[in-house]
Amino acid sequence: MDSARGLTPSSPARPSRSNRSSRTILRSVLALGLVLACASTASAVKREDFKTCAQSGFCARNRAYADIAKEAPDWVSPFQLTPASVRLRNGIFTADLINTHESTNPSPRPPLALELHLLDNDAVRVRINERDAILPRYDGVQETVLVKPYGFASDVTYELSTDTASGTTTIQYGSQNQNTVKIGSAPFKIEFLVNGVSTVLLNDEGLLRFETLRRKEEEQKQSDDDSDDSDDSKLVDQDSEGESSEIVIEKSELEKKLEENLWEERFKEFTDSKPRGPESFGMDITFSGINHVYGIPEHATSLSLKATRGPDAPYSEPYRLYNLDVFEYEANNPMALYGSVPFMLGHSKNSTAAVFWMNAAETWIDVEKSAEDKSSGLLSWIKGKKTLSTPTTKTHWISESGVLDLFVFLGPTQRDIFRQYSSLVGTTVLPQSFAIAYHQCRWNYNTQQDVAETDAGFDEHDIPYDVLWLDIEHTNGKRYFTWDEPKFPNPTDMQQSLASRGRKMVTIVDPHIKMDSSFYVSKEGGELDVYIKNKDGKSSFDGWCWPGNSQWIDFYNPKARDWWASQFSYDRYQGSTKSLFTWNDMNEPSVFNGPEITIPKDTIHYGDVEHRNVHNLYGTMFHSATAQGLTQRNETQQRPFVLSRAFYAGTQRYGAIWTGDNMATWEHLEYASPMLLTIGLAGIPFSGADVGGFFGNPDAELLTRWYQAGVYYPFFRAHAHVDSKRREPWLFGEPYTTQIREAVRTRYAYLPFWYTLFYETSVDGTPIIRPMFTEFPEDEAVFAMDDQYMVGNALLVKPVSKPGVTRSTVYFAGSEKWFDIKDYSVEQGPGFKEVASPADKIPVYQRAGTILPKRERPRRSSKAMENDPFTLVIALDSEGKATGRIYLDDGETFSYEHGDFILREFEATGGVLSSRDARPASKEVAKVSDFVQRIAALRIERLVFVGSKVALKKVSVGGQELPVECVLAPNGGGHVCTVKEPRVTIGEDFELLFE
Amino acid sequence: MKATSVCLPLFATLALSVAVARAEAGQLPRGVAPSKAQLYTSDDSGRWKCLDGSKTIPFSAVNDDYCDCKDGSDEPGTSACGTGYFHCTNVGHIGSDIKSSRVNDGVCDPECCDGSDEYDGQIYCPNICEEVGAKAKEEQKRVRVIQEQGSRLRKQYIEHGKSVKSKMQEEIAQLKGKTEQLLKDTNDARDKLNEASEEVEKYYEGTKKERAAARWTQLAPLIKEQTRRLKFALYTKKKLFKTLKQLKDNYNKNYHDLAVKSAVAGFDDYLETLDKDTDADPPAASVEEGTADDTEISADDQFDKVTQDTNIVLREIGSLFELLAGMAEDYNIEYNDEAVLAAVTVTKDVERNWDQIGLEFKDDTELVVPEEESDETPEEKALKEASDKAQSDLNDAMAEEERVKDRIEDLTRKLETDLGSDETFAQLLDQCFDYKDIEYTYSVCLFGDANQRSQTTTFLGKFSTWVGDNYDTQLYSGGTKCWNGPDRSVKLVMSCGTENKILSVSEPEKCEYLFKLQTPAVCPILPDDDIEKEAAAPEKKGNTKNHDEL
Repeated sequence: MDSARGLTPSSPARPSRSNRSSRTILRSVLALGLVLACASTASAVKREDFKTCAQSGFCARNRAYADIAKEAPDWVSPFQLTPASVRLRNGIFTADLINTHESTNPSPRPPLALELHLLDNDAVRVRINERDAILPRYDGVQETVLVKPYGFASDVTYELSTDTASGTTTIQYGSQNQNTVKIGSAPFKIEFLVNGVSTVLLNDEGLLRFETLRRKEEEQKQSDDDSDDSDDSKLVDQDSEGESSEIVIEKSELEKKLEENLWEERFKEFTDSKPRGPESFGMDITFSGINHVYGIPEHATSLSLKATRGPDAPYSEPYRLYNLDVFEYEANNPMALYGSVPFMLGHSKNSTAAVFWMNAAETWIDVEKSAEDKSSGLLSWIKGKKTLSTPTTKTHWISESGVLDLFVFLGPTQRDIFRQYSSLVGTTVLPQSFAIAYHQCRWNYNTQQDVAETDAGFDEHDIPYDVLWLDIEHTNGKRYFTWDEPKFPNPTDMQQSLASRGRKMVTIVDPHIKMDSSFYVSKEGGELDVYIKNKDGKSSFDGWCWPGNSQWIDFYNPKARDWWASQFSYDRYQGSTKSLFTWNDMNEPSVFNGPEITIPKDTIHYGDVEHRNVHNLYGTMFHSATAQGLTQRNETQQRPFVLSRAFYAGTQRYGAIWTGDNMATWEHLEYASPMLLTIGLAGIPFSGADVGGFFGNPDAELLTRWYQAGVYYPFFRAHAHVDSKRREPWLFGEPYTTQIREAVRTRYAYLPFWYTLFYETSVDGTPIIRPMFTEFPEDEAVFAMDDQYMVGNALLVKPVSKPGVTRSTVYFAGSEKWFDIKDYSVEQGPGFKEVASPADKIPVYQRAGTILPKRERPRRSSKAMENDPFTLVIALDSEGKATGRIYLDDGETFSYEHGDFILREFEATGGVLSSRDARPASKEVAKVSDFVQRIAALRIERLVFVGSKVALKKVSVGGQELPVECVLAPNGGGHVCTVKEPRVTIGEDFELLFE
Repeated sequence: MKATSVCLPLFATLALSVAVARAEAGQLPRGVAPSKAQLYTSDDSGRWKCLDGSKTIPFSAVNDDYCDCKDGSDEPGTSACGTGYFHCTNVGHIGSDIKSSRVNDGVCDPECCDGSDEYDGQIYCPNICEEVGAKAKEEQKRVRVIQEQGSRLRKQYIEHGKSVKSKMQEEIAQLKGKTEQLLKDTNDARDKLNEASEEVEKYYEGTKKERAAARWTQLAPLIKEQTRRLKFALYTKKKLFKTLKQLKDNYNKNYHDLAVKSAVAGFDDYLETLDKDTDADPPAASVEEGTADDTEISADDQFDKVTQDTNIVLREIGSLFELLAGMAEDYNIEYNDEAVLAAVTVTKDVERNWDQIGLEFKDDTELVVPEEESDETPEEKALKEASDKAQSDLNDAMAEEERVKDRIEDLTRKLETDLGSDETFAQLLDQCFDYKDIEYTYSVCLFGDANQRSQTTTFLGKFSTWVGDNYDTQLYSGGTKCWNGPDRSVKLVMSCGTENKILSVSEPEKCEYLFKLQTPAVCPILPDDDIEKEAAAPEKKGNTKNHDEL
């Protein structure tokens, strides 16, 4: 990836006696020296390319502050509310916040402004900003991240009470009046309670710290004063009697750290000029009574976040959120990766809460579990015995710049939180139906011939696939929107050939533009002046990426966004057709010769905004402009499909993401599950990991196991590095080809179910693949479980991520049955059980009480299944009940937005299977297209009833008896009864009797 | 219960499919090949058994668009099972079986030119069998012609191979018979040369000292010049060494300037190699110019020694200078590290001076050693000529011996090469073929080397083995190692054609090339009577001559 690695060391040339000049000797000898130099730097490891907290000035300062607080026996936050400033009007609470440590200064700093908004979705927004900053702090994240100007909650009803003695303000609010906010004034702290139970506390540890903007000259003057007047280096300490007394102490090492790297920072050969000086802030957020917290992707770590502080903490570094292109990233490491979502969810048996720290600058988060956890976890099992302390998770959030802007979601259930959060940042946009089928990618399919052969290989081996991808080599010298013509002489024909079999193509388009005045995109970009600027704010920044010297488009410039979107029109993007879609890579952005392989923080965006303020959002802005381009290019608008590597909260509105450049190892297969679950919880369910692993060569077993797991990733794509061996699914021969074919076909069979899940998340933000604790929120055994998970509420999946395994231990949650999807053998919850996981399957079970729609006919693409009939698998629970849904639309256009879709609710109860229209009332009036009418008339060809205690004897619809065949499930435990041709269609109301 | 009324459209669909099935009742069920007709008949009670015997179903359930049988055999005409085959009659062309998952999938499959696989109305696939059939026949004919010609050629290859092999064996035997005599000839020539040389030596012995002195006088200015160069080089080297040493000791480690660090790291590596290889430093004594009095060493040797030493020092200067120059280019100016700045100044000085040294080295080329001056006597001349003659005779004798040895080796290699079951590939042994694409010319010499050429040549591999049992795929391996990848290799896949040529070269995986070669050597061998008529024709095109040079 690093371009320098491409140098082939030349062998030293020996000067020959007769024909070399001394100058030539010097040159050839220089080559020898070069070899020496290369050898000494080649071993540089990537970990050193990225900062630790100690190497990041503001992180080090805020962490040192936390250390000071922890070491002081009676630490109290110096922040207090000014009582006279407190106001509550129209659902907005405001007050001045002062730092008492600083108020003794001759010129007290202006107070901070605290705002607290009660929102109509029961969430609360907390903002802290400087009241009279010398320069405005960056506050623009909300404009691009929030979907709408969120309500100021004027119609929210609340009750206010103030206890003047303690200085505590209490607000009672919420749709059920269930939430309480207590605001303490001295010291400042906020406590959120749900139904009287303390859940989230802000500044409870007193780690709030806010670096107000200052002028460098004053700063220097003051530090000169400081050296004259030793009094200023005293700290105010409170003794045990509570009386304030001044003790003169030397500044400790920690206190010195608070003043380091304020005005300039160096990392390796890079200098960050920090023209505005220090402007970071931090605050602690405590999840009271909650032992497990989740979220804040993207890290290659476990689902339940491990501690980064405190005794026995598994990690010593905080979780870092800073979008970076990390070459060969390591599993089980809290290092920053390609995307950032500062959303954290805490969950316990009794409460669920979440926070969204809306900041797009570099952010670090420490997690600390209360020391008492270990014992209290056990003790809490003993009913009625109250432990001295409840398990608690303390987190410390640190951002480099901007304003403190925090949303607190109090549920009370996880579903409520997903709904509350997604109502602010948006839900997943409904993808085209092909996009959730299987994608075949490689760096690179080299020629048009190569594409044709790969495409034919799938048909020859009868493996379905929908999309063939082209990586960077398809372009003319990494000039995106162009083709390497000798290798791809006729891209239009190529796409049409794929399209004739219902297939699509995706080409890569990155945000770096090759500096080349003969390249029309580069030229126009220059003329329109749409590139990110150097710190001088005038000249365009240039750096290295795939094409060599490149410039980066400033997607914060509205003109740039529109111009970029227009590049995707068919007349601009020569050789593109409507079956061509887009892949946005390297959008962290990746800059090969930049600090931490990204763009310097002091570069300038439109509106004189420093890059440091918006870094984590850059990739999303690019993603959004690309999606806009794909949407606009057709007159009848088609849904776009754009895959991005970088992401932030809100990315779900533009397309899919994947977990970047993983490796072909069992460990990376294993970590894909927690990573995808975490990303999904944070509001971006349309995500996947490269099947097979990007770097390296998977053996046949690893590749097969990865396909079996990848079938259950919302985004299902195989991809491989240019240096890896070919690994199209048939290349390893039998039995692997058959095993992979079976796996991929399973994905296709369940596409109606997947599409329904995509519809559901597009409505309420509920993740598609879900951690066990989302479906079983009261079962503490699953709270940290991330090696098995749920697809929707219905399928339990346990990927095999170890070699040579033929048995797997699966946890069957709840007290209902689970049915193996291959042979309907039955397992009974709750508890762990070892089940078979031979080479040709991983454990996947349908949960009792669910009805799943399937299309069981093997086809070569999802498009080819469009007219196929359906199968319903009805997994009856112990009461003979089950429910399920199906969503169908044209899979391409936006007409579903006007109600042009089918949404059916199936229910089995009391011996009746019924289907009813479940479209929301607001959608019913709309006109239904011919397409949807045709789909509605497709028949259900098969019903499979599982979980019935007795064999079904009689099944009838409309008085007509239907043939039914029952067999015993393979391991006993019930009957599997199949009804052939129940004579009903997918789109109609029906009632079918079974007994 | 309102199911009956809403079910109407469904019944219409069902009725349609039933009607379709009935229309063919009495004939073959849809999608069944005529050869399988007897498998699709109902028993007396109107029932039918799945072909795998797993189940018995009503015959009416065959092709009812519902999969009853595990093996999918009940739905040859629909996609319901998706696991069987659908037979397209393709009247006008040859019938073909397509996967039943392709039935009614909205795609006009080329294999099903009659369009019979798409009958549900979502797409219209016209019957293009006549056209396709005609094309296919033409294609068949074309292939047939190629195969017939190829077959003839291949037979010639085989004949050639067999005869060439025995010829080679004969030649080896013959050559081996010669070797003893050749060895003797060489030894005789060597003896004669020794005698002649002794004569010359004897003659020279008397005048040795004077000659050496004259030579010293002759070469003295050259040696002097070369020594000056060496001194300057040593001075420069010492300066660079000292500069790096000071940099290493004094630079500010807190700045983490990568450019400085890598210069220091490079210097450390250099110091390490010095420890290991103390000979790298030429002894200071050698800087002495030496004089004619020095009888220990000839003027020529002295000159060579000084020149060699200079070159060694120059190479070290190169290493050290590169470290400093690399740093001078990339170091961070803003740090103002004095040690670094000092080193940069020295580096620039050295660079500037070096150009001036270029002047000092005068003609900017290496010094040319002149021929020895001498006044030749007739006696001396005769002796020298005799010696030269003896030398040339020895050279000839050795060359002949070498030639025969090489030839035997070459023949042995060829005889040991697996040239196919019937020696077909003898014809192609060591024949080379080129293929030009946009950037490169690829070449392969069969059973030899494969290369990729542009400005430079990259070695892609040497013949290592046949792949598989069919004598149509070869592997060339052990090519130049790829950066971050494997050793380059070539898979050569052959197909039947009337001439030998590379059809395509691709690189499906990094540094693993695929060459497709067309050659008569893999054409099927057709029985003679099949091509008798053709053989009678006067056409001789594509015939290859026998290669007797084997």
